[in-house]
Amino acid sequence: MATPRVSAVEHEANLSDPLSGRAPLLLGDRSLHGITKAVCRPVECVPSRAWTLFFVVSVAMMGLYVLTTAYLFYEGIGIWGVNNPVNWGWAISNFVFWVGISHAGTLISAVLYLFRQKWRTSINRFAEAMTIFAVVCALSYPTIHVGRVWLLHWVFPIPNQMGTWPNFRSPLLWDVFAVTIYGLVSFIFWYLGMIPDLATLRDRAKTRARKITYGIFALGWRGSTRHWKHYERAYLLLAALATPLVLSVHSIVSFDFAISQLPGWHTTIFPPYFVAGAVFSGFAMVLTLMVIARWAFKFEHIVTIRHLENMAKVILLTGMIIAYAYGMELFIAWYGQNPYESFSCANRAFGPYAWAYWIMIVCNVIAPQIFWFKRARQNVVVLFVVSILINIGMWFERFVITVTSLHRDFLPSSWGDYSPTFFDVAALVGSFGLFFTLFALFIRYLPMVAMSEVKAGLPEAKPHHGAEGGSREASATGEGA
Amino acid sequence: MSQALVDLRAEQLHLPKTSRWCKLAPVFGGLGIAGLLTALLLAGQTTLQHFLFSYLTAYLYWLSLALGGLFFVLLHFLIRANWSVSVRRMAENVTATLPLLALLALPLLLGARHIFPWAQGVVSDPVVQGKAAYLNLPFFYLRGGLYFAIWLGLAHFFYRWSLKQDRSEDAELKEHLTGQMTRFAPLGMVLYGLSQTFASFDWVMSLDPRWFSTMVGVTFFSGSVVAIMAFLAFMAAALHLSGQLRDVITLEHHHDLGKLLIGFVLFWAYIAFSQYLVYWYANIPEETSWYRHRLVGSWQVLSIVLAVGHFGVPLFFLMSRHIKRRPMALLVGAAWMLALHYIDIYWQVMPTIHRHGVHFTLLDLATFVGIGGLFLAVFFWLLRRFPLVPVGDPRLAESVAHENF
Amino acid sequence: MAEYSTNEQLPDEKLWGVLAEFSGPGDIFRACERVRDAGYTRWDSYTPYPVRNLDKAMGLSASKVPWVVFFLGILGAVGGMTLQWWASVVEYPIVYGAKPFFSWQAFVPVTFELGVLCASLAAFFGLLHFARLPQHYHPLFTSERFQGVTDDKFFIAIEAADGKFNLQETVDLLRSVGATQVEEVAG
Repeated sequence: MATPRVSAVEHEANLSDPLSGRAPLLLGDRSLHGITKAVCRPVECVPSRAWTLFFVVSVAMMGLYVLTTAYLFYEGIGIWGVNNPVNWGWAISNFVFWVGISHAGTLISAVLYLFRQKWRTSINRFAEAMTIFAVVCALSYPTIHVGRVWLLHWVFPIPNQMGTWPNFRSPLLWDVFAVTIYGLVSFIFWYLGMIPDLATLRDRAKTRARKITYGIFALGWRGSTRHWKHYERAYLLLAALATPLVLSVHSIVSFDFAISQLPGWHTTIFPPYFVAGAVFSGFAMVLTLMVIARWAFKFEHIVTIRHLENMAKVILLTGMIIAYAYGMELFIAWYGQNPYESFSCANRAFGPYAWAYWIMIVCNVIAPQIFWFKRARQNVVVLFVVSILINIGMWFERFVITVTSLHRDFLPSSWGDYSPTFFDVAALVGSFGLFFTLFALFIRYLPMVAMSEVKAGLPEAKPHHGAEGGSREASATGEGA
Repeated sequence: MSQALVDLRAEQLHLPKTSRWCKLAPVFGGLGIAGLLTALLLAGQTTLQHFLFSYLTAYLYWLSLALGGLFFVLLHFLIRANWSVSVRRMAENVTATLPLLALLALPLLLGARHIFPWAQGVVSDPVVQGKAAYLNLPFFYLRGGLYFAIWLGLAHFFYRWSLKQDRSEDAELKEHLTGQMTRFAPLGMVLYGLSQTFASFDWVMSLDPRWFSTMVGVTFFSGSVVAIMAFLAFMAAALHLSGQLRDVITLEHHHDLGKLLIGFVLFWAYIAFSQYLVYWYANIPEETSWYRHRLVGSWQVLSIVLAVGHFGVPLFFLMSRHIKRRPMALLVGAAWMLALHYIDIYWQVMPTIHRHGVHFTLLDLATFVGIGGLFLAVFFWLLRRFPLVPVGDPRLAESVAHENF
Repeated sequence: MAEYSTNEQLPDEKLWGVLAEFSGPGDIFRACERVRDAGYTRWDSYTPYPVRNLDKAMGLSASKVPWVVFFLGILGAVGGMTLQWWASVVEYPIVYGAKPFFSWQAFVPVTFELGVLCASLAAFFGLLHFARLPQHYHPLFTSERFQGVTDDKFFIAIEAADGKFNLQETVDLLRSVGATQVEEVAG
């Protein structure tokens, strides 16, 4: 299939901001069948060489994770750089980093849905998939960090032979509930949204094996209005449930730090600030992946520059919120007149890990300011570079929070330093392998764009499109029935 | 959607001269003056400090509402919303009370010495002395002036441009004005966020100069957004019940305002609980002192009333779409939230002087009615004077035609 | 002119219903209103995406999924708090961090999470229950043309089991409301 041709006029209309009405969301072939064809193509054609290469490299990186983790189980977590006083090192930074990444998916699929942001339909499936894979990566760290992984079931409230129960007053246990439930609910939301599209793939399947496989997961979906009625209600409710859930998850992750008495961790703005940071980093990750995917799979007419620009705006907004939170922390550290708190702040900015702090400031606060300019928001290269900078900056934010607060304890005699080992690095690199492997499988076997939602969002999809005046009347009779 | 569907007749857009709405401005004006005079009379029987605290509570209530209105207007342009056009004028009218509030702030500024412990002559506490670079009267006045300069400036320009749109017949000028407001909204939001935060540090947090929390700005913000959403929902439902604007502010708008109201009620609870949980858990004396005063004796009762009334009740009451789409029910829910918002502010300010328990006096009521009466007089006077909706907004027709899921 | 394909060999008792294709959302919306007004009950419309208000045009009642979600959400939250109280106060009381055994503040996060979990599961399984899914066999899947429903085709199907069903009249009705194709479906 040829690249969908997009005329300059259409491109112009897509970037315009008409005051009445909205700019078109899709370009090129906007028929229902055209959307089906474009979305199903990557799933139905022979994988390209680029995909195979990508997949092989990802699996190799994941293999590194598997091998080093196997050694970790054999030897114990002493192979990592963690020790007194820095007992939380890269593993926890990676955990918070991946949980944060996952939040953008829910934000796009649930929150933007509730806010009737129709542009989300082109990217929500993609972002939701990212959510689930990122949660898988995130959950892998606490799992291996417990050391004795074969006793992991102790974190769940399951009766056991010793008659013990988990400590429900521990924020780490809240994490267990929050992140696993978040993963599960995200998965339900993702799968629910995908049922109609799986039915599309089933009905287009050329081979019997494909028909049966997609058929099983499509649950016998046949687009019945009686089904749509329940489906739309269930989808709306899941969106309404996922919205407070996503706020709670990163808030609970922030409680891991905030409810302690450690300077630099114990501050009340942590919950909303972590949520904003999560959305910030997650959107940056979606942007990074989307820039590559829309180019590689020729989706430029479905995921337009306008979509990327909107994401850049959300990044700017959440970037301003975390800049606000950094500022509040600094101000209150001084205003509180607590010597430990002010020392902790000064130590972050000018202590041994000052380099990490300034990377964080440059990447998270200064870099996104370029998105005040429309031309930067519409330039794919700028978007790509800044999104990568933000990914780096947000990883360093978690590193700074974790390590700088721990390495200078209240007693100078228990001060220490932290440096990662090969196995720390392998666990981070390997988690990207896990993430990209899952992603490669997703784009190969599942519809990357929510077809039925994109179709429903077309102006001509409404029953009374173009029928001026008659619409009120018709829907009134509909409601009267 | 075609313009013809919208009933934009003059009697719909302007309050009829004979309607009861038009009589409200003088009534509230009279109430306000009477309230303030009563408060002055009552002040003679009590301490100046008590009077000023009552006044501060009432003042913060109405200020938070006005600031919520400013946030609503800025947000509307920041996110290019179209549904909210037809209720925006009411929010703009709310922001137009800011000059009045600037005037009414004078007693607080003049009486700062009697309100804020850090301003009371020689401070012996070394912790508070350490904050002197921020907590000193000249800087306090300077900051107060700056906040009002920002708020008055934003309110003035956004209101003026919107009114200019109303009067204009020139489609190009209308579009230009909307574009202008959209362009200024992000910068306005940044200024708003910072000024609102430091204002709440100055006027709420520094009442107890030893105490601190990074969340105070967000807490005050969440309360003020609940207040404006409740106020707009109340007005929309009341106008509907009086037969006004039924085709312009439709049930869809009621539904959306109701959704935002319950959304921000949840946000308020989330913020309030997060701050409490972090301080409860760490249990550091200098931080828990603030909660300590609010969780003993009758203050504890009020805390429970706040948790149940400001979160539990609206959560279940406003959850159903049937409630949000029934004007009388929405009216009751919104009025409830407006009342509970007063308790929220009272709970934040008053324990500072009433250490031994809730002590609600006639003075609290008089100052509330006094400032509120004048506030509402301005609001209803503007409601009568200008069209009820921004008639010149190019997106009005879209807003009128919008439907929920 | 609507085409009509009939299967002559099909005995009457094996007839599941008739399937009519429509050309777009507007046509099917008007057609649904007419079929509804004609008094049919065992019929349905099929679309590639949820067409706005089509359920209302069909005269369907509102979905009951919200009620299931509401009550299971409450149940999950109450159950979550009870579990934590029971585990921390009754079954395994241990002093931790100088906090009381029943520290409700610390139990709020898990209570909330379990409430959301139960409500979400209720939304998903409630949908499956009310929509009677999974249902991997359905007579409509025998129709070649019906496969387009998940792509860009719009259909109405009226079942032979409907009290008002009469092959000739039903087909005539469907044609008169704008069907482009009508076919019989075996059951």
